[in-house]
Amino acid sequence: MKKYDVLIVGAGIAGMETALNLGDMGYKVLLVEREPSIGGKMILLSKVFPTLDCASCISTPKMAATANHPNIHLMTSSEVKEVSRKNGNFRARVFRRAVFVDPAKCTGCQECEFACTVAVPDEFNFGLVARRAAFIPFPQAVPKKAVIERAGTSPCSFACPTYIKAHGYISLARSGKFEEAFHLIMEDAPLVGSLGRACYAPCEGECTRGLLEGPLPIRRIKRFIAEYYYSRHPEPEYGPPEKRNGKRVAVVGSGPAGLSAAYFLARNGYEVTVFEAQAEPGGMLRYALPSYRLPRDVVSRDVKNITALGVEIKTNHRVESLKKLREEGYHAVFLAVGTWKARKMGIEGENLRGVVDSIDFLKRVSEGESFDLAGKTVLVVGGGNVAIDAARVARRLGASRVVVQYRRSEKEMPAFRWEVEEAEEEGVEFQYLKNPVRFIGEDGQLREVESIRMRLGEPDESGRRRPIPVEGSEERMRVDFVVLAIGLKPSTSPFQDEIELNKNGTVKVNPTTLQTSLPYVFAGGDAVLGPSTMVEAMGQGKRAAFFIDRFLRGEDLQEAEFEYKLPPAKKEEVLSRQLTHTRLNPVKKKLLPPEERIKDFREVELPMTQEEVLYSSARCLDCGICSECHQCILACPADAIDFSQKAQEFEVEAEAVVVSQGFKLFPAERKPRYGFGRFFNVINAMQMDRLLAPTRPYNTILRPSDGKVPENIAYVLCTGSRDRTVNNPICSQICCMYSIKQAQLLMGALPLADITVYYMDIRAFGKGYEEFFQQASDMGVQFIKGRVAKIEEKEDGNLLLHYEDIENGGVKKVAEHDLVVLSVGLLPNPEITRIFKDEKLELDEFYWVKQVEEDVSPARTSLEGVFVAGTAAGPKDIPDSILTAGAASAEVAAYIESKRRGR
Amino acid sequence: MSNRKIGVYICHCGGNISDYVDVEKVRRAVEEEEGVVVAKTTMFACSDAAQQEIIQDIKEKGLDAIVIASCSPRLHLFTFRAMAQRAGLNPYKYVQVNLREQDSWAHTDDPEGATVKAINLVRAGVARARASRPLEPIRVETEKRVLILGGGISGLRAALSLADMGIHVFLVEKGKEVGGWLRKFSSIYPSGKSGRALVEGLIREAKSRENITIFTQAELVEKRGVLGDFEVKIRVQGEEILLEVGSIIVATGFEEYKPSQGEFGYGHPRVVTLSAFKEMVEDGKFNGHIRTITFIYCVGSRQAQGNTYCSRYCCNAALHSSLLAYKLNPSARQFHIYRDIRTYGKNELLYEEASRLGSVFLKFSPDSPPEVEAENGRVRVRVKDLLTEGQEVEIETDLVVLVTGMVPRSNDSLNEILKLPIGMDGFYNEIHPKLRPVETVIDGVFIAGAAQGPKNSYEAVASSLAAAAKSATLLLKGYAELEPQVAAVDAERCTWCGLCLEACPYNAFEKVKHGEKEVARVIEALCKGCGACVPVCPEDAIDVKGYEDATIKAMIDELLAGGER
Repeated sequence: MKKYDVLIVGAGIAGMETALNLGDMGYKVLLVEREPSIGGKMILLSKVFPTLDCASCISTPKMAATANHPNIHLMTSSEVKEVSRKNGNFRARVFRRAVFVDPAKCTGCQECEFACTVAVPDEFNFGLVARRAAFIPFPQAVPKKAVIERAGTSPCSFACPTYIKAHGYISLARSGKFEEAFHLIMEDAPLVGSLGRACYAPCEGECTRGLLEGPLPIRRIKRFIAEYYYSRHPEPEYGPPEKRNGKRVAVVGSGPAGLSAAYFLARNGYEVTVFEAQAEPGGMLRYALPSYRLPRDVVSRDVKNITALGVEIKTNHRVESLKKLREEGYHAVFLAVGTWKARKMGIEGENLRGVVDSIDFLKRVSEGESFDLAGKTVLVVGGGNVAIDAARVARRLGASRVVVQYRRSEKEMPAFRWEVEEAEEEGVEFQYLKNPVRFIGEDGQLREVESIRMRLGEPDESGRRRPIPVEGSEERMRVDFVVLAIGLKPSTSPFQDEIELNKNGTVKVNPTTLQTSLPYVFAGGDAVLGPSTMVEAMGQGKRAAFFIDRFLRGEDLQEAEFEYKLPPAKKEEVLSRQLTHTRLNPVKKKLLPPEERIKDFREVELPMTQEEVLYSSARCLDCGICSECHQCILACPADAIDFSQKAQEFEVEAEAVVVSQGFKLFPAERKPRYGFGRFFNVINAMQMDRLLAPTRPYNTILRPSDGKVPENIAYVLCTGSRDRTVNNPICSQICCMYSIKQAQLLMGALPLADITVYYMDIRAFGKGYEEFFQQASDMGVQFIKGRVAKIEEKEDGNLLLHYEDIENGGVKKVAEHDLVVLSVGLLPNPEITRIFKDEKLELDEFYWVKQVEEDVSPARTSLEGVFVAGTAAGPKDIPDSILTAGAASAEVAAYIESKRRGR
Repeated sequence: MSNRKIGVYICHCGGNISDYVDVEKVRRAVEEEEGVVVAKTTMFACSDAAQQEIIQDIKEKGLDAIVIASCSPRLHLFTFRAMAQRAGLNPYKYVQVNLREQDSWAHTDDPEGATVKAINLVRAGVARARASRPLEPIRVETEKRVLILGGGISGLRAALSLADMGIHVFLVEKGKEVGGWLRKFSSIYPSGKSGRALVEGLIREAKSRENITIFTQAELVEKRGVLGDFEVKIRVQGEEILLEVGSIIVATGFEEYKPSQGEFGYGHPRVVTLSAFKEMVEDGKFNGHIRTITFIYCVGSRQAQGNTYCSRYCCNAALHSSLLAYKLNPSARQFHIYRDIRTYGKNELLYEEASRLGSVFLKFSPDSPPEVEAENGRVRVRVKDLLTEGQEVEIETDLVVLVTGMVPRSNDSLNEILKLPIGMDGFYNEIHPKLRPVETVIDGVFIAGAAQGPKNSYEAVASSLAAAAKSATLLLKGYAELEPQVAAVDAERCTWCGLCLEACPYNAFEKVKHGEKEVARVIEALCKGCGACVPVCPEDAIDVKGYEDATIKAMIDELLAGGER
């Protein structure tokens, strides 16, 4: 544990000054700052009263001195979590947030900032402009190191089983960076086109915008990205990797799991051979998904992304023995054989001609076999997506009537609602709570089905209510063709002697590493999960590739961490941080008309236009703030970006603590009658200070509504101060002066502008302040005694101020201004009390840190050894803050020395 | 040919410089300069990474001087000096060229011109680097003793604080006893505690400390020496004592503004100053006979001529006294004739409370101040009240309280000895209200409390503790390091004419024997390197180290040589 003499919480001007004094005296100081830069509020100011010197010019040397002082250890982006006492000293837990940039490598060049695709309100410009998620807070920041703001993993990205950074490619898409978006998806899944067509998009279900007008069409945006890229690049732009490691891996099965594993292994330099029993690669993508949902050429192009890496796919090659593969020289095997065996119902007539299972049916259709169903009645049994696919395929093969029987009710049906709807549009009939009990045939040929009605009983182990046959409700129906889609089983039987299987036939694996009972064999996809989705299968392939790599490099698999993600961003927080919300309706999915669809197997869903994609992706709320688009990684010349960086916690010891956490600005929204937050041209004084600062966002003073240079500016003093209605009866001590300062600066910047200050009392009490006030008055700043009662907005954005003109008869008057600055007061940061464990840091009646002996020991608090500096104890201007910091340093030194002597 | 090995680094400053100055062109223009062995551009010279690279160059290429063309030395001179030190290079062989404030920011409309200027500036910097010599800081051993002038609450509090830190304090008070203004008051705002009890507590504490020596009826009569090592003479009740101290804190306080005879009726027994009123209230002289009190604010403050400043404490103090008077006589009528009520911060509660208790506030314009008519036993105050449409209000009152401000204490002899700068308002001036609020241009002499400007007691205490802290930073280390870029006399040339001593604002010259003749010698610890002596020397015998005439001439030659070569 690191030992310090003094721990200082908050590195604004008071904290820095205290640290410098104590450091100069020879004490070891730990200075902890919550923000990414030290400097507090002062560094953000334009000039300071009454000398009108530049705030930066005063702050930056102090900041540089603080950062370079041999006795001061600085921790930014850090918070003190807990302070307790032990053996007469303080113990503190200090938490450093992950900032995802290695400060030792970062040179502050800002390339990441320029590349970043996410814009958020810039708190250092008080929301006047936006900043990036990767950013340096302001030009004079100390340390001048970029940080990346992440509020968690965006829920869409978090939901993806193969961890495609959905938010990332959405933010690239909205920037028009479609090729970059494609490459980003390729970081996590090679089958981009297939996913864009037929992924069930768990991301969309988690989209926060779903709580508003509806989720983003994330999958369809991905489809656009894939088409955009493939249309420009019919062949992959890369070849096999140059660095090969000489190790060989066999992948059994070329479905999404196998292809994904092959891709990631090959990228890592492995020599990969994929064995496929069928004639073409793609597995279920090619053979089970109907081509009206996933065109075959898309699958073929996707497969090129894998083969271009030098992966060999041996088709028509069924693997029956894993040991043999080992003997053939493969160092590891990934088994991803899928679920190609259909479950049987076990009822009479199941073997009649005309009764087929779904996988057999779909595969044969895919292989080009022509089932003549013209004018026939087809029954599909089951309620999953495969059942719906089979029903819709049957319609396309000409069946005049297609009936789906499902033994539970519509509510329990596992198929997606939209799939059912599309099927219904195509004329598929659904019969719920119905199940065949036998198939009746003639000469081995199916003729009729006898079904029974069901009712729902108690929930079973799957949580769904168990269907119970209703005695005596049997009915018969004439059918020509039956497709049984009641479930699929893994095709793992050939390997049952070599590796351990579960009872249901799935391969037994370590769920984290996917390693089987045979160490060099890993398994994944449906063979492990049972029937799942393509994206889950791809996730397994990616996971297997990761652990196979670790395995072949001889590393400990249990230690390796796969896909470290931050916890998902909280949706309530995402919604609550939106300053304004514009209603943006989703772009509806466009489909061919149903009568067109059933004519053949042409693709049902129509692509989105580029315009629709830009609009749709711009609806993104940037839940995690950083989208993980990874452009910063590509842009950083110093290789400093590190998304795996984690928060750290340190325990330190100190003899004394100084709290100098400063103040916060009064949120002017709490005075609704002034219209802040509703009227564009009502700003707060901190925003005006930013407009006037040397690092100002625009190069001049503009009013927000229309960018007009204001000509008639009003200041409303005592906004949130001397005001019992907002529970802050005290005077904030600085607002008169900073308003006068701004008025003087404005007179210089906008010589033609009129400036009016509405005040209660002008409190120019410090050294040189009265003279400064008189100077403003002489320059022509108008001072009107009278509190502003309310502000109204005119159509042109100008504002009407209602006030009582006290010095001229007290009449009610209305004045028009084109910009209003609210001189907001200061409020305390009482959260500081929380860090003290087992004891209470007392606050005064207005929640500022209580000075228990203000008369003679201004820095002393209610806790022995804990001192206060600056505005933490009450409103103060900068000179007073610095003096109290001086006082705190003296009291700390006296305390430590007395204590040490006492020992 | 120079045998120097100079490294030149031209900083983009993100774009602050390179957006207007073609830094690559500058680099090419200087890479062939005499002595230059490394010329590079860098995105941010101040970044850790860039500093590491420069350190590596210094070590690997054996650089013996470096030039960094970046921002103002105010910002990063010490950054790069520290870097040089870390690399084992004498920090005074580092030259900073300001391409930002003095070039790119100033010429955003003329990138080509800015580039030519940058080339000239960097060449001048290289010339300076060629002439650079190692310098060592002037080290002064510091005495762990402090002289505090003034025994009010500021002086007492600073004394105790320093004593706690193990520093010996000599507390010198002009009057018969220590305690200052607060001795008079049994209730001070905002705590309501007794000022008397507070200072008596501090005095008891101070007297019990071995390392505090209190001198009363004492004053400073002489000061010699330099920061860390002053030799001061004090006269204590006629006897002179010599002390050696490391620093001096001036906490001589303030005086109350004394109205002139007839100013707002002053002179009449029923017209009193604020402190007199406060004493009345506290001594029980205030009784039921006084049924109406009229306060007139800003007496001696915020004047059009004279005391233009606001005295800061008086609104708060007057309202505090007003509340005390209400306690004694709740039914008393109180009128407050004011300009602005400046109860800043939490003191606002005093104002609120006085209003609640029925105080009537009338606002006057400085153009028509209230008039006090006092004849016989009756006192009348007339005022145009801005809060009631400028109506003239006449108040018949039993007592007028002139809310008198603070004025600087007349310390003529002390000022003569210490040579402290005095501001327009007559109070002592700090170097900078924010950067160095308790320090003065005389190194080692600090100002505390109301001597620096009007303050109430708790503000005075904060500033005195700040002064104690600054003293401690100086003394606890045991030594101080001063800038070595000071004047030096070539004794061979010097003929002692005394002109340098006349020109020197710091008395940093002494006459010494040099062989047969008398020459001037620089007292390095006193010299600030201002250079005032250099041009007056008829023999050209003085140079400021680091800014030697030859160096400056070489720089000027480069600046005039023109851009392209």
